[in-house]
Amino acid sequence: MLRIENLHARVEEKEILKGFNLTVNAGEVHAIMGPNGAGKSTLASVLAGNSNFEVTAGSVSLDGVDLLDMAPEERAREGVFLAFQYPVEIPGVSNTNFLRAALGEVRKHRGLPELDAKAFLAYIKEKKEMVELTADLAGRAVNEGFSGGEKKRNEIFQMAMLDPKLAILDETDSGLDIDALRIVANGVNKLRSKDKAFIVITHYQRLLDYIVPDFVHVLYNGRIVKSGTKELALELEEKGYDWIKAELEETAA
Amino acid sequence: MSILKETTEVLGHLLEAMPSDSLFAIREEAASFLREKGIPSKRHEDWKYTNIKRLFDNGLASSSSAETLVPRPSSLVPSPAVQLTNSSVSKNFPTLDGVTFSLFSDAGELNRFIGKSGIHGKQELAALNTVLFTDVLIIQVKKNAQLAQSLLIDHSVSATGSELFNSRILIVLEDGAKLNCVHHFHGTAISDSSLVNHVTEAFIGANASLELNFLQEIGTGNLVNTTEVNVERDGRFTTNTVQLSGKLIRNNTNVRITGQNAEAHLNGFYMIDGNDLYDNHTLVDHLVPNCQSNEVYKGLLSGKATGVFNGKVHVHRDAQKTNAYQQNKNILLSDTATMNSKPELEIYADDVKCSHGSTTGQLDEDAVFYLRSRGLSHKGAIALLLTAFASDVLVQVSDEGLRAVLEEKIQSRLSGME
Repeated sequence: MLRIENLHARVEEKEILKGFNLTVNAGEVHAIMGPNGAGKSTLASVLAGNSNFEVTAGSVSLDGVDLLDMAPEERAREGVFLAFQYPVEIPGVSNTNFLRAALGEVRKHRGLPELDAKAFLAYIKEKKEMVELTADLAGRAVNEGFSGGEKKRNEIFQMAMLDPKLAILDETDSGLDIDALRIVANGVNKLRSKDKAFIVITHYQRLLDYIVPDFVHVLYNGRIVKSGTKELALELEEKGYDWIKAELEETAA
Repeated sequence: MSILKETTEVLGHLLEAMPSDSLFAIREEAASFLREKGIPSKRHEDWKYTNIKRLFDNGLASSSSAETLVPRPSSLVPSPAVQLTNSSVSKNFPTLDGVTFSLFSDAGELNRFIGKSGIHGKQELAALNTVLFTDVLIIQVKKNAQLAQSLLIDHSVSATGSELFNSRILIVLEDGAKLNCVHHFHGTAISDSSLVNHVTEAFIGANASLELNFLQEIGTGNLVNTTEVNVERDGRFTTNTVQLSGKLIRNNTNVRITGQNAEAHLNGFYMIDGNDLYDNHTLVDHLVPNCQSNEVYKGLLSGKATGVFNGKVHVHRDAQKTNAYQQNKNILLSDTATMNSKPELEIYADDVKCSHGSTTGQLDEDAVFYLRSRGLSHKGAIALLLTAFASDVLVQVSDEGLRAVLEEKIQSRLSGME
């Protein structure tokens, strides 16, 4: 589904991704772990089309189509979803208007008819229940006044609403207590299917107890330096990243 | 002939023609104030950014040519309506329970209210209006009469040269009365060397409520719109100004709160582009205790537009327990637009809650990206954000039908702004 080859990207003058390769097939969950500054969030931002990040080399294709050539909204309509590490507060924009506009665009692109008001509300209700979102969204502005946990849960709710084929979760678990973490993970697990793929970016192995990945990759200094299965995450949890750095230095020497 | 000479001549003429003009004393006061002060130049602190004198230097002359013009009805639908064309009032008044319409020239007893606010001795353009107006539309709402519908004051502007129009309205709300007005200034192909110099004087009785909505879309025309309001005990005044087109627009909104437990709400939303300049000057005078005032002015500026907001809140020594809040927020859509924002608080009482805030910045790119990452187009994301930006002003418009029309007009103006 997703094929990333030799991706180089920079923000301002600083090169962050330095030859990143990854292939994700439908139905798979890939976890990407790594120390601070390794390039995890840059990867998420580049995939979503954030123009603050400049791709200097390499390619990314989604089902054979050049993803880097698409505007952020085209990627979203094609089924790419980024759960933001820091969801943006948008004062004055009501959740309902925002969700209606977003869902309308995505459905139109997929050749689905626009939902009428009643069907739209029913759809919201269904998805809210699916991701155990209890917060009342109606009458509130997007993310405004939400707690950190509420914002993260709202991201998962939006994911459920837009039904993407590739979802990238950028440190969605950071700052969540164990109950919120479980709810977020349940939401993801309910959405898992053989047609969908997930890239779960995280600092902590803990999340992977709840969202069990098919593959775990270690991102360090802009590249994947080690890949494995969920056992790799446990090893990282136990030993930290230093042994990987040491291994790398040994290879280099 | 300069406008000052003209005012002198008009006065002389008035004295000759109708020495019994009940307003002669007030007109004379206005003229002498104007002779002393002159038309304000940019050296005048209150007109620092807004060059109104240029129009006068270019030979602005008062005109009553409107009488021959066919009015173009406003695109706003709320009936009932009163029609003004330039400075001339159509006598075709609607019939409304508890409301009387009349003209200054009818010489009714309400004429005594004209100039009562003293505005003609405080502001030059209002003084000019006072000397030169030929008639005044007078709207009176009787005690406890509450108008359910909005009244449209349809101000159609038409000018081909350097014409000066001095239109004037007097609103008197008796105790417990309620009136909601939409004042629509509009016109097409208005000469950019003409000026509409409008004055509204309003007196809000005890427990009465007045909402004045201004919709200003005068294309290439110029407008100075002065509103002088007096609010008595338990009274309430709301004004919502939406500025969509005009070459130069200056709103002077002055509110005197003279009775306890009264409220004033002043809101404005402006969209300026090209080389246009919109200027909102507000003054809220808190003279007595236990009152509140709220101001929210927001705007979008693009091109080489200039915006001015000068909001002054004056809390007098006796006005304890005053709550006064003021906010001005601007979004610049270009590098060449300028916003001049100046909140002023003058507080002489020691037990008050007053605050003000002013911000001018760019559109939040993070928010744009967030919305696009959910499938909204770039244009759609910006429209959603800017509509949201306008919403806390629009929500103050109590007439839902009018609010919807304003939202639509703002939307269509937005698509022409980029």
